[in-house]
Amino acid sequence: MKSLVIIPAYNEEKSILRTVEDIQKNAPEFDYIIINDCSTDKTLSVCRNAGIPVLNLPINLGIGGAVQTGYLYAKKNHYDYAVQFDGDGQHDAVYLQDMRDYMMQNQLNMLIGSRFIEKEGFQSSSLRRFGIRYFSVLIQMITGKKITDPTSGMRMADKEVIAMYADCYPKDYPEPESVVAILQAGKKVEEYPVIMRERVDGVSSISPMKSVYYMIKVTLAIFVEWIRRKEYKK
Amino acid sequence: MMTLKLQVIIGIFLLMALFVIIYMIKKRSLDLKYALSWLLAIVFVLVLDCFPILLVKLSAALGVWAPVNMIFFLGFCFSLVIIFTLTVMLSRMAERVRKLSQAVALNEEKLERMSKLLKEREKE
Repeated sequence: MKSLVIIPAYNEEKSILRTVEDIQKNAPEFDYIIINDCSTDKTLSVCRNAGIPVLNLPINLGIGGAVQTGYLYAKKNHYDYAVQFDGDGQHDAVYLQDMRDYMMQNQLNMLIGSRFIEKEGFQSSSLRRFGIRYFSVLIQMITGKKITDPTSGMRMADKEVIAMYADCYPKDYPEPESVVAILQAGKKVEEYPVIMRERVDGVSSISPMKSVYYMIKVTLAIFVEWIRRKEYKK
Repeated sequence: MMTLKLQVIIGIFLLMALFVIIYMIKKRSLDLKYALSWLLAIVFVLVLDCFPILLVKLSAALGVWAPVNMIFFLGFCFSLVIIFTLTVMLSRMAERVRKLSQAVALNEEKLERMSKLLKEREKE
Protein backbone atom coordinates (compact mmCIF):
# COMPACT_ATOMS: atom_id res chain seq x y z
CA MET A 1 0.00 0.00 0.00
CA LYS A 2 1.82 3.12 -1.20
CA SER A 3 1.00 6.27 0.75
CA LEU A 4 2.22 9.80 0.30
CA VAL A 5 2.21 12.88 2.49
CA ILE A 6 1.82 16.05 0.44
CA ILE A 7 3.30 19.04 2.26
CA PRO A 8 2.72 22.39 0.57
CA ALA A 9 5.23 24.94 1.84
CA TYR A 10 5.55 28.66 1.38
CA ASN A 11 8.25 30.28 3.52
CA GLU A 12 8.36 27.51 6.11
CA GLU A 13 12.16 27.30 6.64
CA LYS A 14 11.75 27.27 10.42
CA SER A 15 9.11 24.57 10.74
CA ILE A 16 9.57 22.32 7.70
CA LEU A 17 12.25 20.06 9.22
CA ARG A 18 10.18 19.59 12.37
CA THR A 19 7.19 18.59 10.23
CA VAL A 20 9.24 16.04 8.29
CA GLU A 21 10.77 14.61 11.49
CA ASP A 22 7.25 14.23 12.88
CA ILE A 23 6.25 12.21 9.82
CA GLN A 24 9.43 10.08 9.84
CA LYS A 25 8.87 9.28 13.50
CA ASN A 26 5.10 8.87 13.69
CA ALA A 27 4.16 7.73 10.19
CA PRO A 28 7.16 5.74 8.97
CA GLU A 29 5.15 3.88 6.30
CA PHE A 30 4.38 7.10 4.49
CA ASP A 31 6.52 8.65 1.78
CA TYR A 32 6.51 12.42 1.81
CA ILE A 33 7.14 15.26 -0.59
CA ILE A 34 7.44 19.00 -0.07
CA ILE A 35 5.94 21.33 -2.64
CA ASN A 36 7.95 24.51 -2.46
CA ASP A 37 5.61 27.20 -3.80
CA CYS A 38 8.39 29.56 -4.83
CA SER A 39 9.32 30.49 -1.25
CA THR A 40 11.37 33.63 -0.78
CA ASP A 41 13.19 32.25 2.25
CA LYS A 42 15.51 29.23 2.51
CA THR A 43 12.81 26.54 2.45
CA LEU A 44 14.26 24.98 -0.71
CA SER A 45 17.89 24.81 0.44
CA VAL A 46 16.85 23.58 3.90
CA CYS A 47 15.00 20.67 2.25
CA ARG A 48 17.71 19.92 -0.32
CA ASN A 49 20.43 19.89 2.35
CA ALA A 50 18.41 17.48 4.45
CA GLY A 51 17.83 15.24 1.41
CA ILE A 52 14.06 15.73 1.54
CA PRO A 53 12.32 15.25 -1.83
CA VAL A 54 10.99 18.56 -3.15
CA LEU A 55 8.72 19.58 -5.98
CA ASN A 56 10.04 23.04 -6.69
CA LEU A 57 7.52 25.33 -8.40
CA PRO A 58 9.24 27.95 -10.58
CA ILE A 59 6.47 30.49 -9.94
CA ASN A 60 4.14 31.01 -7.00
CA LEU A 61 0.87 29.20 -7.73
CA GLY A 62 -0.83 29.65 -4.38
CA ILE A 63 -2.04 26.86 -2.12
CA GLY A 64 -4.41 25.28 -4.68
CA GLY A 65 -1.86 24.96 -7.46
CA ALA A 66 0.78 23.73 -5.00
CA VAL A 67 -1.39 21.01 -3.49
CA GLN A 68 -2.50 19.92 -6.95
CA THR A 69 1.16 19.46 -7.91
CA GLY A 70 1.35 16.99 -5.03
CA TYR A 71 -1.69 15.10 -6.32
CA LEU A 72 -0.17 15.04 -9.81
CA TYR A 73 2.97 13.52 -8.31
CA ALA A 74 0.89 10.98 -6.40
CA LYS A 75 -0.97 10.00 -9.56
CA LYS A 76 2.18 9.75 -11.68
CA ASN A 77 3.89 7.56 -9.10
CA HIS A 78 0.83 5.35 -8.53
CA TYR A 79 0.18 6.07 -4.90
CA ASP A 80 -2.86 4.40 -3.31
CA TYR A 81 -3.34 7.09 -0.68
CA ALA A 82 -2.25 10.70 -0.45
CA VAL A 83 -2.74 13.04 2.47
CA GLN A 84 -2.40 16.81 2.59
CA PHE A 85 -0.41 17.96 5.56
CA ASP A 86 0.51 21.52 6.53
CA GLY A 87 4.19 22.37 6.77
CA ASP A 88 3.74 24.88 9.57
CA GLY A 89 3.42 22.46 12.48
CA GLN A 90 -0.38 22.62 12.82
CA HIS A 91 -0.94 18.99 12.01
CA ASP A 92 0.14 15.94 13.92
CA ALA A 93 1.48 12.92 12.06
CA VAL A 94 0.39 10.43 14.75
CA TYR A 95 -3.06 10.30 13.13
CA LEU A 96 -1.90 9.34 9.65
CA GLN A 97 -1.63 5.56 10.11
CA ASP A 98 -4.97 5.41 11.91
CA MET A 99 -6.63 7.55 9.28
CA ARG A 100 -5.42 5.25 6.53
CA ASP A 101 -6.55 2.15 8.39
CA TYR A 102 -9.93 3.77 8.97
CA MET A 103 -10.23 4.58 5.26
CA MET A 104 -9.37 1.04 4.24
CA GLN A 105 -11.74 -0.55 6.75
CA ASN A 106 -14.65 1.63 5.69
CA GLN A 107 -13.73 1.79 2.01
CA LEU A 108 -13.78 5.56 1.97
CA ASN A 109 -12.70 7.78 -0.89
CA MET A 110 -11.75 10.65 1.37
CA LEU A 111 -11.17 11.27 5.04
CA ILE A 112 -10.98 14.74 6.55
CA GLY A 113 -9.20 15.41 9.82
CA SER A 114 -11.68 17.44 11.86
CA ARG A 115 -11.01 19.64 14.88
CA PHE A 116 -14.68 19.90 15.74
CA ILE A 117 -15.79 16.34 16.42
CA GLU A 118 -14.18 15.97 19.82
CA LYS A 119 -13.61 19.72 20.14
CA GLU A 120 -10.14 19.31 21.58
CA GLY A 121 -6.92 21.22 20.94
CA PHE A 122 -6.65 24.49 19.08
CA GLN A 123 -10.16 25.50 18.03
CA SER A 124 -9.36 28.69 16.08
CA SER A 125 -10.88 32.09 16.90
CA SER A 126 -14.63 32.41 17.43
CA LEU A 127 -15.00 34.48 14.26
CA ARG A 128 -13.24 31.80 12.21
CA ARG A 129 -15.32 29.10 13.86
CA PHE A 130 -18.42 31.01 12.85
CA GLY A 131 -17.18 31.12 9.24
CA ILE A 132 -16.44 27.41 9.29
CA ARG A 133 -19.92 26.69 10.72
CA TYR A 134 -21.42 28.72 7.92
CA PHE A 135 -19.65 26.67 5.25
CA SER A 136 -20.59 23.51 7.08
CA VAL A 137 -24.29 24.44 6.93
CA LEU A 138 -24.01 25.55 3.30
CA ILE A 139 -22.38 22.28 2.27
CA GLN A 140 -25.00 20.28 4.13
CA MET A 141 -27.77 22.19 2.37
CA ILE A 142 -26.28 21.52 -1.04
CA THR A 143 -24.93 18.00 -0.70
CA GLY A 144 -26.89 16.67 2.26
CA LYS A 145 -23.66 15.63 3.95
CA LYS A 146 -22.50 17.17 7.19
CA ILE A 147 -18.84 18.13 7.20
CA THR A 148 -17.91 19.67 10.55
CA ASP A 149 -14.53 21.00 9.41
CA PRO A 150 -14.73 21.83 5.69
CA THR A 151 -11.70 24.15 5.82
CA SER A 152 -9.41 21.50 7.32
CA GLY A 153 -6.15 21.21 5.43
CA MET A 154 -5.57 17.67 6.66
CA ARG A 155 -7.29 15.42 4.17
CA MET A 156 -6.56 11.95 2.95
CA ALA A 157 -7.58 10.82 -0.51
CA ASP A 158 -7.71 7.44 -2.21
CA LYS A 159 -6.71 6.65 -5.79
CA GLU A 160 -9.96 7.89 -7.32
CA VAL A 161 -9.89 11.22 -5.54
CA ILE A 162 -6.17 11.63 -6.27
CA ALA A 163 -6.97 11.29 -9.97
CA MET A 164 -9.84 13.75 -9.73
CA TYR A 165 -7.76 16.35 -7.92
CA ALA A 166 -4.78 15.86 -10.20
CA ASP A 167 -7.12 16.68 -13.05
CA CYS A 168 -8.98 19.58 -11.50
CA TYR A 169 -8.41 21.54 -8.30
CA PRO A 170 -9.50 25.05 -7.26
CA LYS A 171 -6.83 27.76 -7.19
CA ASP A 172 -7.31 29.68 -3.97
CA TYR A 173 -9.05 28.73 -0.72
CA PRO A 174 -9.63 25.29 -2.22
CA GLU A 175 -10.73 23.16 0.72
CA PRO A 176 -14.54 23.61 1.03
CA GLU A 177 -15.04 23.81 -2.73
CA SER A 178 -13.04 20.68 -3.47
CA VAL A 179 -14.92 18.69 -0.82
CA VAL A 180 -18.21 19.68 -2.48
CA ALA A 181 -16.85 18.55 -5.86
CA ILE A 182 -15.99 15.14 -4.43
CA LEU A 183 -19.39 14.80 -2.71
CA GLN A 184 -21.21 15.75 -5.93
CA ALA A 185 -19.30 13.02 -7.74
CA GLY A 186 -20.86 10.55 -5.30
CA LYS A 187 -17.66 9.71 -3.45
CA LYS A 188 -17.68 8.50 0.14
CA VAL A 189 -16.34 11.18 2.44
CA GLU A 190 -16.05 10.94 6.21
CA GLU A 191 -14.34 12.84 8.99
CA TYR A 192 -11.87 11.70 11.59
CA PRO A 193 -11.36 13.44 14.93
CA VAL A 194 -7.94 15.04 15.23
CA ILE A 195 -6.28 17.56 17.48
CA MET A 196 -4.52 20.42 15.76
CA ARG A 197 -1.95 22.77 17.20
CA GLU A 198 -1.74 26.48 16.79
CA ARG A 199 0.76 27.17 14.05
CA VAL A 200 4.32 27.45 15.32
CA ASP A 201 5.73 29.86 12.75
CA GLY A 202 4.42 31.73 9.76
CA VAL A 203 1.04 33.36 9.35
CA SER A 204 -2.28 32.03 8.13
CA SER A 205 -2.81 32.42 4.41
CA ILE A 206 -6.09 34.15 5.27
CA SER A 207 -5.53 37.65 6.67
CA PRO A 208 -8.49 39.55 8.16
CA MET A 209 -8.46 41.81 5.11
CA LYS A 210 -8.97 38.85 2.82
CA SER A 211 -11.63 37.13 4.87
CA VAL A 212 -14.50 39.00 3.22
CA TYR A 213 -13.20 38.01 -0.19
CA TYR A 214 -12.77 34.49 1.17
CA MET A 215 -16.39 34.22 2.32
CA ILE A 216 -17.82 35.55 -0.95
CA LYS A 217 -15.52 33.60 -3.21
CA VAL A 218 -15.99 30.28 -1.46
CA THR A 219 -19.77 30.73 -1.25
CA LEU A 220 -19.94 31.38 -4.99
CA ALA A 221 -17.56 28.52 -5.68
CA ILE A 222 -19.79 26.12 -3.75
CA PHE A 223 -22.78 27.25 -5.81
CA VAL A 224 -20.79 26.83 -9.01
CA GLU A 225 -19.99 23.29 -7.90
CA TRP A 226 -23.70 22.78 -7.38
CA ILE A 227 -24.40 23.97 -10.94
CA ARG A 228 -21.77 21.52 -12.15
CA ARG A 229 -23.34 18.60 -10.29
CA LYS A 230 -24.73 16.97 -13.42
CA GLU A 231 -21.29 16.95 -15.01
CA TYR A 232 -19.94 14.88 -12.13
CA LYS A 233 -22.72 12.32 -12.33
CA LYS A 234 -21.74 11.33 -15.86
CA MET B 1 -26.75 64.93 -37.87
CA MET B 2 -23.14 65.17 -36.73
CA THR B 3 -21.28 68.34 -37.47
CA LEU B 4 -18.51 68.11 -40.03
CA LYS B 5 -16.09 69.29 -37.36
CA LEU B 6 -16.85 66.36 -35.07
CA GLN B 7 -16.73 63.98 -38.03
CA VAL B 8 -13.21 65.21 -38.84
CA ILE B 9 -12.03 65.01 -35.21
CA ILE B 10 -13.33 61.46 -34.77
CA GLY B 11 -11.86 60.52 -38.12
CA ILE B 12 -8.42 61.84 -37.15
CA PHE B 13 -8.47 59.94 -33.86
CA LEU B 14 -9.46 56.72 -35.57
CA LEU B 15 -6.79 57.08 -38.25
CA MET B 16 -4.17 57.76 -35.59
CA ALA B 17 -5.22 54.65 -33.67
CA LEU B 18 -5.15 52.63 -36.88
CA PHE B 19 -1.67 53.90 -37.67
CA VAL B 20 -0.34 53.05 -34.19
CA ILE B 21 -1.78 49.54 -34.35
CA ILE B 22 -0.38 48.83 -37.80
CA TYR B 23 2.99 50.23 -36.74
CA MET B 24 3.05 47.95 -33.69
CA ILE B 25 2.12 44.92 -35.76
CA LYS B 26 4.93 45.79 -38.15
CA LYS B 27 7.35 46.00 -35.24
CA ARG B 28 6.03 42.66 -34.00
CA SER B 29 5.20 44.06 -30.58
CA LEU B 30 1.53 43.32 -31.19
CA ASP B 31 0.29 39.96 -32.38
CA LEU B 32 -1.98 40.23 -35.42
CA LYS B 33 -4.25 37.65 -33.83
CA TYR B 34 -5.03 39.94 -30.91
CA ALA B 35 -4.99 43.15 -32.96
CA LEU B 36 -7.64 41.87 -35.34
CA SER B 37 -10.60 42.79 -33.16
CA TRP B 38 -9.20 46.31 -32.68
CA LEU B 39 -8.66 46.72 -36.42
CA LEU B 40 -12.18 45.58 -37.19
CA ALA B 41 -13.67 47.91 -34.60
CA ILE B 42 -11.76 50.89 -35.92
CA VAL B 43 -12.59 50.20 -39.55
CA PHE B 44 -16.27 49.77 -38.70
CA VAL B 45 -16.51 53.04 -36.81
CA LEU B 46 -14.46 54.78 -39.52
CA VAL B 47 -16.93 53.70 -42.19
CA LEU B 48 -19.82 55.08 -40.13
CA ASP B 49 -17.88 58.29 -39.57
CA CYS B 50 -17.23 58.78 -43.28
CA PHE B 51 -20.78 57.95 -44.36
CA PRO B 52 -23.01 59.49 -41.68
CA ILE B 53 -26.12 58.55 -43.66
CA LEU B 54 -25.56 54.93 -42.57
CA LEU B 55 -25.29 56.14 -39.03
CA VAL B 56 -28.51 58.13 -39.26
CA LYS B 57 -30.36 55.10 -40.60
CA LEU B 58 -28.93 52.85 -37.93
CA SER B 59 -29.77 55.35 -35.17
CA ALA B 60 -33.33 55.71 -36.43
CA ALA B 61 -33.73 51.93 -36.61
CA LEU B 62 -32.56 51.49 -33.00
CA GLY B 63 -34.36 54.54 -31.65
CA VAL B 64 -31.24 56.56 -30.85
CA TRP B 65 -31.88 60.29 -31.07
CA ALA B 66 -28.50 61.77 -31.85
CA PRO B 67 -26.42 59.80 -34.40
CA VAL B 68 -23.23 60.82 -32.60
CA ASN B 69 -24.44 58.89 -29.56
CA MET B 70 -24.67 55.85 -31.81
CA ILE B 71 -20.94 56.15 -32.53
CA PHE B 72 -20.13 56.33 -28.81
CA PHE B 73 -22.48 53.47 -28.06
CA LEU B 74 -20.93 51.26 -30.73
CA GLY B 75 -17.42 52.13 -29.58
CA PHE B 76 -18.42 51.24 -26.03
CA CYS B 77 -19.86 47.89 -27.13
CA PHE B 78 -16.73 47.03 -29.09
CA SER B 79 -14.56 47.92 -26.10
CA LEU B 80 -16.60 45.69 -23.80
CA VAL B 81 -16.35 42.77 -26.19
CA ILE B 82 -12.60 43.20 -26.46
CA ILE B 83 -12.13 43.53 -22.68
CA PHE B 84 -14.23 40.45 -22.05
CA THR B 85 -12.28 38.46 -24.62
CA LEU B 86 -9.11 39.52 -22.82
CA THR B 87 -10.44 38.25 -19.49
CA VAL B 88 -11.26 34.91 -21.08
CA MET B 89 -7.79 34.74 -22.59
CA LEU B 90 -6.22 35.68 -19.27
CA SER B 91 -7.99 32.78 -17.57
CA ARG B 92 -6.74 30.43 -20.24
CA MET B 93 -3.20 31.79 -19.95
CA ALA B 94 -3.23 31.42 -16.16
CA GLU B 95 -4.33 27.80 -16.59
CA ARG B 96 -1.53 27.15 -19.07
CA VAL B 97 1.10 28.80 -16.87
CA ARG B 98 -0.07 26.69 -13.94
CA LYS B 99 0.17 23.44 -15.90
CA LEU B 100 3.54 24.41 -17.27
CA SER B 101 5.07 25.22 -13.89
CA GLN B 102 3.65 22.03 -12.39
CA ALA B 103 5.26 20.06 -15.19
CA VAL B 104 8.57 21.86 -14.59
CA ALA B 105 8.43 21.03 -10.87
CA LEU B 106 7.63 17.36 -11.55
CA ASN B 107 10.42 17.06 -14.10
CA GLU B 108 12.94 18.76 -11.87
CA GLU B 109 12.19 16.31 -9.07
CA LYS B 110 12.56 13.39 -11.46
CA LEU B 111 15.88 14.74 -12.71
CA GLU B 112 17.11 15.16 -9.15
CA ARG B 113 16.12 11.58 -8.33
CA MET B 114 17.72 10.19 -11.48
CA SER B 115 20.99 12.04 -11.01
CA LYS B 116 21.18 10.83 -7.42
CA LEU B 117 20.68 7.27 -8.63
CA LEU B 118 23.33 7.74 -11.28
CA LYS B 119 25.84 9.01 -8.75
CA GLU B 120 25.22 6.03 -6.51
CA ARG B 121 25.77 3.70 -9.43
CA GLU B 122 29.00 5.39 -10.37
CA LYS B 123 30.29 4.88 -6.86
CA GLU B 124 29.66 1.15 -6.97
